[in-house]
Formats: sequence, structure tokens, C-alpha cells
Amino acid sequence: MTLDPITSEIIQNSLQAAADEMFVAMKKTAMSSIIYEVLDMGTGITDAAGEIASSGAGIPAFVGVLDKAVKAIIARNPVEQMREGDVYVTNDPFHGGVTHLNDIIVAMPVFAEGRLIAWTANIAHNSDVGGMAPGSLTGEATEIFQEGLRLPAIQLIEAGRPIRPVFDILKVNSRMPDVLEGDVWAAISSVRVGAKRLQQMAGKYGADAFEQALVQYMDHGEAVSRRALKDLPKGSFALSEEQDDGRVFTVKIKITEDSFTVDLRDNPDQSSGPVNSCRDGVMVASQMIFKSLTDPQGLANAGSFRPITLLTRPGSTFDAQAPAAMGFYYEIELRAYDLIWRCLAPHMPDRLGAGHFASVCGTFIGGIHPDTGRQYTIIEPQVGGWGAARGSDGNSAIFSSFHGETYNCPAEINEARNGVTIDRMELNTAPGGEGRETGGRGVVIDYRTRASEGGYLTVGYTRSKFPAWGLDGGRDGSPNFVRFLPQDGEAQDFAFVSGLPTKPGDVIRVFTGNGGGMGDPKDRPHDKIAADIRDGLLTRDRAREVYGYEGEA
Amino acid sequence: MTRTDKARTIRVATDVGGTFTDMVCFETDTATGQSRITTAKSDTTPPDFEQGVRDVLKKGGVEPGTIDFMAHGTTVVINALTERKGVKVGLVTTEGFRDTLEIARGNRPDFFNLHYEKPKPFVPRHLRREVPGRMTYLGEESQALDLAPLDGIVADFKAEGVEAIAVSLLHAYANPAHELAVIERLRALWPEVSVVGAHQISREWREYERGNTAVLSAYVQPVAERYLGRLERGLKEDGFAGQLYVMQSNCGVDSLEATARIPITMVESGPASGFWGAAELGKMIGEPNVLALDIGGTTAKCSLIENGEVTIMTDYWIERDRSSAGYPIMVPVVDLVEIGNGGGSIAWVDDFGKLHVGPQSAGAMPGPAAYGKGGTQATTTDANLWLGRINRDYFCGGAIEADMEAAGSALQGVADSLGLDRDAAAQGIVRIANNNMVNALKLVSLNRGHDPRDFVLVAFGGGGAMHAVALGQELGVKKVVIPAGAAVFSAWGMMMSDLRRDYFLTALVDLGEGAAAAVEDRFAQVEDGARAQFAQENVPEDKLHLRRFGKLRYQNQEHTVEVPLEGPVTEGALARIAEDFHAAYEKEYTYRLDAPVEMVGLHVIASAEVGKLKPVEAEPVDTPASAALKGRRVVDYATEGQHEADIYDGEALRPGMAFDGPAVVEDPGTTIVIHPGNSAHMDRWGNLHVLIAAEDRAAEGAA
Repeated sequence: MTLDPITSEIIQNSLQAAADEMFVAMKKTAMSSIIYEVLDMGTGITDAAGEIASSGAGIPAFVGVLDKAVKAIIARNPVEQMREGDVYVTNDPFHGGVTHLNDIIVAMPVFAEGRLIAWTANIAHNSDVGGMAPGSLTGEATEIFQEGLRLPAIQLIEAGRPIRPVFDILKVNSRMPDVLEGDVWAAISSVRVGAKRLQQMAGKYGADAFEQALVQYMDHGEAVSRRALKDLPKGSFALSEEQDDGRVFTVKIKITEDSFTVDLRDNPDQSSGPVNSCRDGVMVASQMIFKSLTDPQGLANAGSFRPITLLTRPGSTFDAQAPAAMGFYYEIELRAYDLIWRCLAPHMPDRLGAGHFASVCGTFIGGIHPDTGRQYTIIEPQVGGWGAARGSDGNSAIFSSFHGETYNCPAEINEARNGVTIDRMELNTAPGGEGRETGGRGVVIDYRTRASEGGYLTVGYTRSKFPAWGLDGGRDGSPNFVRFLPQDGEAQDFAFVSGLPTKPGDVIRVFTGNGGGMGDPKDRPHDKIAADIRDGLLTRDRAREVYGYEGEA
Repeated sequence: MTRTDKARTIRVATDVGGTFTDMVCFETDTATGQSRITTAKSDTTPPDFEQGVRDVLKKGGVEPGTIDFMAHGTTVVINALTERKGVKVGLVTTEGFRDTLEIARGNRPDFFNLHYEKPKPFVPRHLRREVPGRMTYLGEESQALDLAPLDGIVADFKAEGVEAIAVSLLHAYANPAHELAVIERLRALWPEVSVVGAHQISREWREYERGNTAVLSAYVQPVAERYLGRLERGLKEDGFAGQLYVMQSNCGVDSLEATARIPITMVESGPASGFWGAAELGKMIGEPNVLALDIGGTTAKCSLIENGEVTIMTDYWIERDRSSAGYPIMVPVVDLVEIGNGGGSIAWVDDFGKLHVGPQSAGAMPGPAAYGKGGTQATTTDANLWLGRINRDYFCGGAIEADMEAAGSALQGVADSLGLDRDAAAQGIVRIANNNMVNALKLVSLNRGHDPRDFVLVAFGGGGAMHAVALGQELGVKKVVIPAGAAVFSAWGMMMSDLRRDYFLTALVDLGEGAAAAVEDRFAQVEDGARAQFAQENVPEDKLHLRRFGKLRYQNQEHTVEVPLEGPVTEGALARIAEDFHAAYEKEYTYRLDAPVEMVGLHVIASAEVGKLKPVEAEPVDTPASAALKGRRVVDYATEGQHEADIYDGEALRPGMAFDGPAVVEDPGTTIVIHPGNSAHMDRWGNLHVLIAAEDRAAEGAA
């Protein structure tokens, strides 16, 4: 029996609604601000084999994660023994976790008419999963064992009954056991809500119709991608780029009528530090840029990504093998993404503009709250400047391409919840990013620490030595870095630091970069230069020097 | 408080929309309580909107001098915002935070789109200025306020042609002293300028949201004040001496003076009166749990009412969708979900052969193809006509002759793209439109842990009754109720509104032992403020109704669950409050935790009745419904196929009449589609109740 197109469409719309509903359930019940405020989380629905069908992700980098987790769960656990009400969990990048140990993925098999028809899954960043450092992330880690508890695609709930020992292990390994438990339960409630909705759909239309609609949905995703692929310029492209840490990363891309091949084989061996990605991670990077080039506003599912071929070398930094440390995987994933973007930008000027600040700028500040005596942990990605594009200046102060529907933390909430005072949160007026179209502005944020004891700072920023790149004559942007201003002692600038002790009154000043400019600055319209001067974003001297502008503001 | 020394009481609702200004007049016989309803429509007259109101009263034959009570709704505020027709605003904020308005929250909802455009702030950087001085989150001063920069700021603002100033300082929700001092100095330096402090609008935390709210209020304030002032003067000139109230986004009405001071509270007043009406209707018919659905020409809006209470939230954004972050307005707004699906929504087939309905709408011009005004694209209305759900010989109450040829050829276009015939295309359009609306209804019900079986679906607006039964069946609600006068239901809702204010205050308290006094104290403060405000408007204390809600969460969470609190907060009551929270939380999220509970803030609703309409009951008649039967025709119910349906004249139906589906009820403003297996009856107030059979008929569609 073939499914009529309208019913198929209705099931597909309802899948999207269910993924969105799962997202809202998680957001509202989470205990960590990184989940409910930053929305460092995603939800999705896969078919019975683990192919992603629809996603309620808040972060583009999480769209392509859940399918890999479900497949790992299926590989490790006999499907024929799975029952209604079961829930599984993984966080290990070497067991389908893709990212780092902080990101716990919870997945639930969905049954109808006595068979497995789909999975609902959820990923979110948890504040502390144990390991050698508070918040579980540290630049000091050399093995994944130091980064927290590993959950290798195991069962968490059996037929609706929580497996107590697993919860006990989870809690006892965390520095913030109650928060971890609350966040895991929020994730469970989210996958349950989704499963219930899918069962209702299958009950109404029949399991066959449901499964057919999923197949058609993914085929549709593929058709959209393949049609858009035909409009991309064809050929082979290559780029090598030096990184802040001196490593040189290389990409080769080949675009044909029906394939998009990313070759990352020619890259350094995996690092002894936590600056590696697993293969799944750079697959996500390839999927993200491919999606942006082909169908940025349409649906994203497994079919959308079928034309992609990814080549990696096991044991390299883009295909790290256990027990590599993975804590800062996201910067490496983002480097791969930015590398592909930069490689293609000169060949697709209408689709790709200049580089953006291109770092998550993960900022970890913790200690004991002086007012409550409780431990607090700030885990914040930062907003920064985006690159100029043909015809438009770059956006100021938005999250990197890794993040999406992500929200910064209001100063008022930060001060109440965490032991800090935010002295400023303003646009970065540093030079950089000039062009016919200018790069957007990064930000400057002052966190004055109040932690009565145990105060620490960990950061890991990239694009600090080599800022966002300009395009077509536009100037490069400005760097991402932190300036630490202790009350006693010398100021110091850095982009990577782990567990730096802080005292009350010390100021952590975060600078995020301006995006790259596009086109010759001499071609910038004078009214825009005047407006930038009037708004205090450009000095007259700089206007004269870079733009050759002598006029009034 | 309406005058009773006359034989009739006259209540009027006027509503200024983007295109038309509408009036509904309820003329109530004091002796019998019966109301005669008249309606009129005239053009909206920008920028002198008050003229349209005077015009429409004249057109409806309503003498302003005879009006006892007038409620006024207007889209002037939302239109001024979306059309960018407000004034030049300057912002004064805390040192280090001038860019909060531009940094906003940094989110990119359209996250694969590398050409995303972040919304531009309403105040450019050079008009965002700073003063030193800090409060802590506890409301304690940590750095003294320095007013010295204000002289220079005012001079610059004057030179730049600023017409309104917004003041928004960090932590002013906890302690507004600095904000008040800045406002006082600004007024002294520049008495003519319009000034608003963010704390006057919102006492909740989040500096971007609160600051942007103040900016947008300042942006529309001079426009709204001018218009409301002229309206009042104009009506007085015409002899109006009754009470004039303005519809608010929180489903209440407020005085003209209060609204002119803080006009931003009107921003989403349009749909509010209909939802309030649904809540009042639910109480009247003994069904306090209501899913309310308002289907217009361009959009459908829905909201959930539990125990007779509308849900009021302060998480409202304009211009926010999947492709834009939008702008927050932190004022009390009825919680609703709106989707781009109405009678005029255009059906289209994408490059990949997938059928979509909306969000583009054919609008009033050219309108659906069947209007015969040149529309060539099929709309939901065309599909409903084609399927016989709308009577082609009684289109728009007979006001328009349906151009079936145009509708047919528009549907043919959709059919060709799908490889179907026109009937199947029309069925597809109705099914997709229904599915879009069902998903919206689920967002406000199932998604929040409510079971639709506990609710009745109340549908109104031009297209509500057409789709309501199908949606009700799909959701599994108890029954569907189509109110009497569904087309003017929003106006009826306005006539039922109270003078109402919602107070929200952020005040973080651990709900542990010893917390009661602090909580009680904060409630008392807010309530004293409410009493004083109502007293200023001569509302007697015994008329004022105060209700308390706590916004509670587990420690470390962010989002809260609102729990009603009965009586004073004492140590003894704390355990019960916590238990109420655990239960409410579990209902919404399926689990509870053994974790400390904290109160993040409070919500107080203060309301007073001001001249409400009193609904009248009629004795049921013994006459069978066949007295109202005007014919039979074949109707295509989409999922349930074609059936010969009884067609009833809605104006001839009387309380007590009952009949079974398949049937269609037609009156000049509404078409009610009743499916096979349904049974319907009219209640004592003239509302039509449609009972859905137990079996799940919708499942037939997939077979």
C-alpha cells in the first residue's frame, strides 16, 4: 500500500512538531544554565535504524549527533530484547557520543504494533561529569579518562523503571550530583514526551504509514540537497592554514554533480591534549557547511546529508582514537568547519562571506558563591563578530556557527546565580574587519569574581593568533582572548588556561573578535563611515588611515 | 456602575484595525436584560485614528451621548512598532551596558543561514548613553549614582531631535531608586520630553528584555498619547459622557490615563478579548476548561484556559519567528500560539511536489479566488467552498456571489502540481490546514501536560466554526462549542472584561523554613501598590479582587511553574505550597524531584468589575430543529468523504433545539460544519454545542 502524499506530509509535519515539543520540555526543566539559557542541547527523532528524521536542535552542531548515538546504542544492545519504556544513555565519543563527555545523550526506542518504529533522542551539556577538573573540561587532560565518567551506550531505564545503580554511579561521579540528576531527568522527560507523540501518530495512521512517511521524508531531504548541489560550482579546491598552536590543517574538497567530498586525511596526528575530534565530529562540521550551501532554511535529516563523502585518517586529530582526550573537541570541529568555509569562499562569493570569530570561546568560571555558600559553575560560550558578506556588513555579537538558537546569560541573572559582578558587557571597538563591507563587532565582558573560595578560570579560545580572515581586500578581524586583571599582580593575556585560581576582586576580561571585512575599504560608502564614527565604533584617525576618509562624522 | 435610571444600557466596543475600524453595540433592556446587537464597519483613518472611531459610531447610528460604557481596542501600538512609525528615542542606562540593546541575546534562530540579519536596535549607539552607579541583585547600592552626565546627555538628545527617553538601569527590578532619580533629573532638565523607566513597566530581571521593553514603550508613547487624547476629546465633543476603557494584552481593560502613560501594554490586545470571552463563556456554561481558537483571514490563534483562568505571561516578542530573533516586550500578555493559517491562506506546491497552506494570505484584496476579484491562487476558503462545506449560494452571508469558476481553476493549479483531481486537492488543502491548526492547539495543551479530554474547544472568528469540529475530533476534546454571535465574539469578550492589572515581581527566596515572612511581605507590598492604584481611579476597596500566584522552581532551574496561593503565606502554609508546586510540576513534566524549592517571583492579579454585560438565559423551546432546516446538500468532509448534510439556518435555531450530523449551520457571519456521527444542540444562551462520538473517526482517513 502506498501512502497518500497528504497523510505523509501530515506525519512529517507532526514529526517536526514532536521534536520541537521535546526541545521545549528539556529547556524548561533543565537545571544547568548551559542548557536552559545557552540551549546547548538538541532533540531529534530517528527511524528504527538510527537515521535522523527530524530535529528540534537549538544548535546546528547537534543536528548530526543523535543519529550516531542511536546507531552506537543499537550496535551494543540487542534490539530484540528492547522493550517499551526502555531508555539508553551514552556520552562517550568512542561510543557514538561524537562530542565530549559532558554531553549526555539519552535515547528511547519507540514501539508500535509490537515492533520498534523509531527512536527519540536528546543531547545536552551537563555541568560536571567528574574527571580531574571542576566542570570536567581542562586543557591539562591527556586521556579521556581524565575528563569524566564514560557511559558507553548503556541502558538507563528498563521498561519504565530507573536502573538505580546506574543513577548512583552517575551521581557519585559528579561534583554537582543534584544538578546532574535533574538534567538527566529533564532529558528523560523530553524523550518520553516525544515517544508518546510518535506512538499516537502510529496508532492513528498505522505503523506502516508512519514508517513510509519517514522514508519519504528522508528521500525528500536527499532530493532537495541533490538539486541544490547542481547549482554549486564544480571542481577541486584545497587550502592549508596555520593554527594558533602552530599546527597546519589542510582540506581538499571536490564537488561534482552528485557528490560533495571533504578530504581531511592530510592532517597532523592526534594531539596529546584535549584538542581532537572524532570522525563523527568533523562529519558534523561537513554536514553543517553543506547544509548552509545547499538548503539553509529547509529541513535537515539523514537524506539531506547523503551526498557527502568524508575522508579521514584514523589516528589523526580529525579522527582521534581512544583514549585521546576530547574536551575541547568543539574548537577542532569548528576549525574544520572554518577551513572548509575559507577554502570555498573565494569560489562562491554570493554564498560565503568573510570569516567570523569562529570560536565557541568557552568560558568556565567557578567557585563558592559568597552569598549562598553553594558551588557555582559558569559555562558560557561567547558571542562575537561575524564576517562581512557581499552587500551587507557582518552581524555584531552573535554566537559562532557552532551555536544557533543559543542565548547569552543576562548580567542580572549571572550576578544572582553566580559569584560574579559583570562590570561591563559592550561591543568590542578594537580595529579590524574594515572593508567595503565591515565585519561585525565582538564584545568585551568584565567578570569581577566574588568567589569566596575555590575560584577558578578555564578557557580555550581559538582564532587568537590568527583572527577572522578578510576576503577580497577586506581587512582581517580582531583576536579572541582573555585578559586576566588580578587585584594584585600583573595583567596577563591568554587564549588557553586551565584551572587558574582567582581571588575576589580579580577581573576576567573577555575579548571576542570582530569579523573579517570584505572588499577594499576605500570603496566603503562615506555615510556608513560617518555613522561608524558617530557611533564610536571607529576613530577619525583609523578612518583616515584605512578608509582614506577625511569627512565629518 | 452603569447608570440604571434609564430603560436601556448601551455598551459599545470599538476596535481600530489596520484596515477597518469596527463597532459592536449592545443595547440592553434594563427590565428584561435582553440585548440588541448592532455592528458597523468603517475605514481606519491614519494618522487621525480617532476620526475612524467617530465615523463608525455615526455609521452604526449610535449617539455618543447615550453610551454608558465603551471599551476600545486598537492595533495602533503594534502597527507603529512593525511599521517603524514611532518617535526618535534616547536611552539612558548603566555604565558598561550601552550595548545591551544591540548585543541582545546573541541567538541565531535561522542557524544554517549564513546571511542571517540580526534585528537592528530601535536606538542607535550614539543615542544610547550611560550613567555610573550600581545596584546588586539584592537591590542594595554598591556604587553611588552619578547624575552629572545627564546635563550633557540631555543637550545631545535635544540636538539630535530625540522625542522620548527610556531609562533602564541594571537591577532596577529589585530596587528602582536609581532609575527614579534619573527620571526625576531628566524631568527637571527637560520637562516637555516623554520619559519612561523600565521598572514602571516591568519588575522582572533580564536587562535586555526589560530595557528593550522600555525603549519600545518610549517609541510609541507620544504617538499613543496623542491619539488617545484626541479620541477622548473627540468623543466628548460628540457628547460622550460614559466610561471609556482601553483593551489590554492581559485580557483586561485599563483606564485611558494609565494606558497613555504606558501604552506598550496594549501591544497584543487584539486577540485578548476573544480569549477572555472564551473564559467567560466557559464559566457561564459550566465548562471552565477551554481550548479557545480564533480563526481569522490570515492567522489562527489559540490559547488554553484552565479553571476559568486565562494564562498571562511576560515572555512576549514581536517579529520573532524561525528566521528572526525579534524584539522582546516584557509586559503581561495572554499566552497564545499564532500560526499563519486562516481562511485566506494560500495553498501552494513546492518544487518537490509537497503541498503547503500559508503563511502567505490572499488578504482582503484580491482575497480568495472565489471572491472574483482577480485572485488566482487557491485558498483554504476556496477549498471549503469546493467541498460544499461553505454554501456557494450563501457565500459571506450572501454578500458575495461565489465565483466557482475562479475557485475551480485555482484548485486545478494545485491539483495539477500534485497529480490529483480537484476534489482530492481541495481535501488535501483542508487536511493540511487542519493539521497546522491541530499542531498549534497541541502546543498550548498537550505540550503543557494537559489532557484535551478535559477541555471543550470554543471556536470563533470568521473561520473558527468551519474547522472546529474536525480539530476537536482529532484532539479528542469533550465537545466543541460555537458561541452565539461567533463573528462578533471578540467584542462580546470586551464587554465582559474587568479592569485588570497583572503585577509580576522578581524576588528570589528559598522556600525553606523561615521564608514565609519575607514572601508574605513582598506580596503585601505589591498588593498595597495595587490598592493605591485602583483607589486613585475611584474603585472602592470592596470591588477590588486580588489573587496571588507564586512562580516556583527547583533550585538551580530557570523556568518556573506558576502556582496559585490561597490566603496569607505563613510558615504552616509553606509545605502545602511546595506540595502544590511538586504536583503542578509533575503534571507538566512527568516527574518530580526531591530537591529544594525556591520562589523566583510573584504574580498578583488585581481586578475589578466595571459595567460587565450580564448574559441572559432563554427558556428552551419544544419545537424540533427541523423548523430551522433550510435544505440538504452534499458536503465533502475531507477525511470522512462525501455525505448528504442537513443545512440549518442559524438565525432560526432556538435554545433547546437538537439535531445530528452530518449537518451545516449557516448564518450571515458563520458556517458551522458538523460531521457525521456528531450530535448538536443549542443551549439557553444560544451557543451551539457539538458532541463528538466516542470512536475515533479521524483514523479512517489513513486507511
